[in-house]
Amino acid sequence: MRPFEFIKPDSEASAIELLGKLSPNVRILAGGTDYLVDLKHTADVPKTVMDISRLPELKGIDEVDDGLRIGAGVTHTEIMQNPLIKKYAPAMIHAAHTIGAVQTRNLGTIGGNLVTCVPSMDSGPTLVALDAEVNIVGKDGTRRISLTDLFVGPRKTSLKSNELLTEIIIPKRSLGKPANFYKFGLRKGQALALVNAASSLWIKGGCFKDLRISIGAVAPVVIRCLKAEKYLEGKKIDEKLVKEAGNIAVTEAKPIDDFRASQSYRNDLIAVLVTRTINAAIDLADKD
Amino acid sequence: MDVELIINGEEKTASIPPETTLLKLLREEFYLTGAKTGCDVGDCGACTVLVDGEAVNSCLMLAGQLQGRSVETIEGLANLEDFHPLQKNFEDLGSLQCGFCGPGMILSAKQLLEENPEPTKQEIQDAIAGNLCRCTGYTKIVEAVADAAKEMREEP
Amino acid sequence: MVDKVKVKERESTLEELREVNDDLRLPSVPEKVSFPIDVVTPEARTQTPAVGQRASRPDGRMHGLGQTKYIDDMSFPGMIYAKIKRAGVAKARIKKIDLSEAEKMPGVMATLIGSEIPVNSFGPSYQDQPIIADKLIYHAGDPVAAVAATTEQLAADALEKIKIEYEQLEPIFDPIEAMKESAPEVHPGQGNIYSSKIIQKGDVDKGFKDSYRTYENTFSTQMVEHVPMEPHASIAEWDANGRVIIHSSLGRITLGRADIARTLDMPINRIRVVATVVGGNFGGKNEITTEPILALLSRKTGRPVKGIYTREDEFMSSTTRHPFIMDYKTGVSEEGKIISRKVRLVCDGGAYCSWSETTLGKACILSAGPYNIENLYVEAYAVYTNKTMTGAMRGFGAPQVCFAYESHMDDIARDLDIDPLQIRRINAFHEGSASPTGQVLQSVVVKDSLDVAADRFGWEEWQK
Ligand SMILES: Cc1cc2nc3c(=O)[nH]c(=O)nc-3n(C[C@H](O)[C@H](O)[C@H](O)COP(=O)(O)OP(=O)(O)OC[C@H]3O[C@@H](n4cnc5c(N)ncnc54)[C@H](O)[C@@H]3O)c2cc1C
Ligand code: FES
Ligand code: FES
Repeated sequence: MRPFEFIKPDSEASAIELLGKLSPNVRILAGGTDYLVDLKHTADVPKTVMDISRLPELKGIDEVDDGLRIGAGVTHTEIMQNPLIKKYAPAMIHAAHTIGAVQTRNLGTIGGNLVTCVPSMDSGPTLVALDAEVNIVGKDGTRRISLTDLFVGPRKTSLKSNELLTEIIIPKRSLGKPANFYKFGLRKGQALALVNAASSLWIKGGCFKDLRISIGAVAPVVIRCLKAEKYLEGKKIDEKLVKEAGNIAVTEAKPIDDFRASQSYRNDLIAVLVTRTINAAIDLADKD
Repeated sequence: MDVELIINGEEKTASIPPETTLLKLLREEFYLTGAKTGCDVGDCGACTVLVDGEAVNSCLMLAGQLQGRSVETIEGLANLEDFHPLQKNFEDLGSLQCGFCGPGMILSAKQLLEENPEPTKQEIQDAIAGNLCRCTGYTKIVEAVADAAKEMREEP
Repeated sequence: MVDKVKVKERESTLEELREVNDDLRLPSVPEKVSFPIDVVTPEARTQTPAVGQRASRPDGRMHGLGQTKYIDDMSFPGMIYAKIKRAGVAKARIKKIDLSEAEKMPGVMATLIGSEIPVNSFGPSYQDQPIIADKLIYHAGDPVAAVAATTEQLAADALEKIKIEYEQLEPIFDPIEAMKESAPEVHPGQGNIYSSKIIQKGDVDKGFKDSYRTYENTFSTQMVEHVPMEPHASIAEWDANGRVIIHSSLGRITLGRADIARTLDMPINRIRVVATVVGGNFGGKNEITTEPILALLSRKTGRPVKGIYTREDEFMSSTTRHPFIMDYKTGVSEEGKIISRKVRLVCDGGAYCSWSETTLGKACILSAGPYNIENLYVEAYAVYTNKTMTGAMRGFGAPQVCFAYESHMDDIARDLDIDPLQIRRINAFHEGSASPTGQVLQSVVVKDSLDVAADRFGWEEWQK
């Protein structure tokens, strides 16, 4: 790696102050599982790298007034082991489990996963399906946006260079909502998703309610399948309709054709995974 | 930049450039060459060490992130009296061929056994999914971890 | 703790001391890491006879202790690091190489280009591969220059300062296209088919006429990289007496030594190759790669020079398994007995021959499968393309053809509605069968093995 300065603030407040002072010549380092790989290969080395991986304020998963708060510095392993996540959003455990391998999950953070913003990120779909929001803090204060507004394009977010993603909030209405995540990669471990998908839903009087479907790796960012959602919303549960929703989801995606998989293969995967994730969420839901 | 950390139970200090990775720190400052460079980008697990008991890819940590933390490498596993049961069973079963993946593999397995003394085959496979081995096909590695777990349960 | 060892030594009898004691062979280790003194030897190692016993490896203990020293684990006083600049274009003529910016960088101690290499060609069968490409680029992974600097990073930075001007030439990637007369030549003046073999037995055309049915299919396999966990690695040290010591992850040191002597144009006795434990070879470390480069950089600087491939180097420029395109035509009787078989193998050799000759020969002999075939015709070609070169890899061509003939066998069985196991039983070699090249085979147990295997994994059950 080429030379840079390394700083390690000991609180969120000082991190934000330093960001304000040093940006744009500073970059944030959390688990480093994305950024250090980049740093090893790029000529674009910042003057300063700021380590936030151990900031206490970015850690912890707690119940707050408006839902469940997950610190941006929480690792994938911590998510897998957390009792609150298990109680309120178990699909996230499954999603976290599919990321890399033990070593990657011990280091990699959920904040880093969202900010890297690759289309195949595995924490995206579940959080989108649960209507998650994020808190962003800069020197001018805090803003709260919906997660989908964070994603701008491949490796591009709406964060400014002097802002820190501090926490992810799963709103109260989504806590305990039946939800499910599927990932399809070329191998079980250490593989990027060719397609991943998540859905969440309630069932009221045998009908779909507040259905959310989200897919990743098949568009510039993780997307919600609004048409497929609309198609099913309010309808009676029916296997055929769910299958059709899978086909509709295909029309909402724009998968790439590359050495990992062809476009048509990815399209087939979308239909299958979307159908499966809805069916799995139905199985989890109370049926009255 | 100065870093103070604990390596295999001993306090150490090193003066290194900030861009030094933990892997380089161990190999080049302390001559602990058990952790290997297989890919340098987090894919292969040959550089696995335990930081505060958790398996990590040491190629993906900056030495500065280790300030005040505790690192365990393969060199710290055996002592004058005995091998670690993992090392013993890896040897007995001939689990390693070229050996390059071994130190990382054993440390990943160590984290597993510390958290889960009675792992299933599936759980063992999950624990070493980040440690690539090109020689063995993993069968005997998984067997050795299972045998070591059994041994450790029987004589803790 | 250390005292305990000494006490133990003093107490030992002469006989004990004379014994080769495994534990005393344990290496001295850095830091305060200490090692087991009383460790039982695994049962398997004490058992004899060896056949049927589970073997353990004598080096297994060191591996598990993390004490095996591979090349990258070694360092020498004053050691510097080499990195290799790769072409990045598949076919081109080098017009100009400008090293001046790189050489000016602080920390850069030496550079090297192809024209400085005494004999710039090597290879186990044909010497068609340059150590560093000097005039033509044959594939994108070709080295074009090397740098030695005080740190790996400085060497890598220096590579980016090297400016090379190329005249782009038309590359050829498809081996079938490359076989045509009109195809651009990978090695000018040489033709792209650099090796061919034919096996002929009986009369295939008549055989096809006598057959109940004939089947044709084309099978292809892909390029495979060995991905040894330890990348290629060497350290070279040129001493003041004009001798060079090379520590290398080479698997075939004697052959490598001859190649190093050739390329450095030195008597072989001035070259000492020290082999270490290899971190995975699989055929990919059977020939030299950067050893002569490191040796020359060491001569220029008077320092030991270490060169470790990055994973990118490994994929771009080390050898790989040959992709094959395999055409099969087989005539069978109504019962499924093979009467006649015709095979054409095209082996995509990439930019250099390496071990393609050997691979082609073996693929050719094995391409008919372990089956008795009266009428057989095999033709096989190794073809140059502007791709990463191919070489030895586990099986030398056997896995490729096995995939083809066994898939072909299944197709035939399905069409004839014969049990896939049965069709193999009907055709398999037996004691005294002759191989396609006429070797009379002994200790043949193909059928027995098939039966035992079928029994063990419940073939009959599975078929239901
Ligand atoms: C071998 C391997 C396998 C992987 N497999 C997967 C996989 O299967 N699925 C998957 O989704 N990902 C995978 N990844 C990618 C990566 O592990 C995850 O994206 C991880 O969550 C990134 O988190 P991090 O803490 O390591 O981020 P870092 O690398 O530290 O940071 C990533 C980026 O986010 C920025 N950043 C980090 N935290 C913040 C913050 N709080 N505020 C503002 N900016 C911030 C950094 O500046 C940087 O640009 C893999 C990586 C490796 C090396
Ligand atoms: S060297 Fe760190 S994971 Fe491969
Ligand atoms: S033993 Fe060679 S890589 Fe595992």
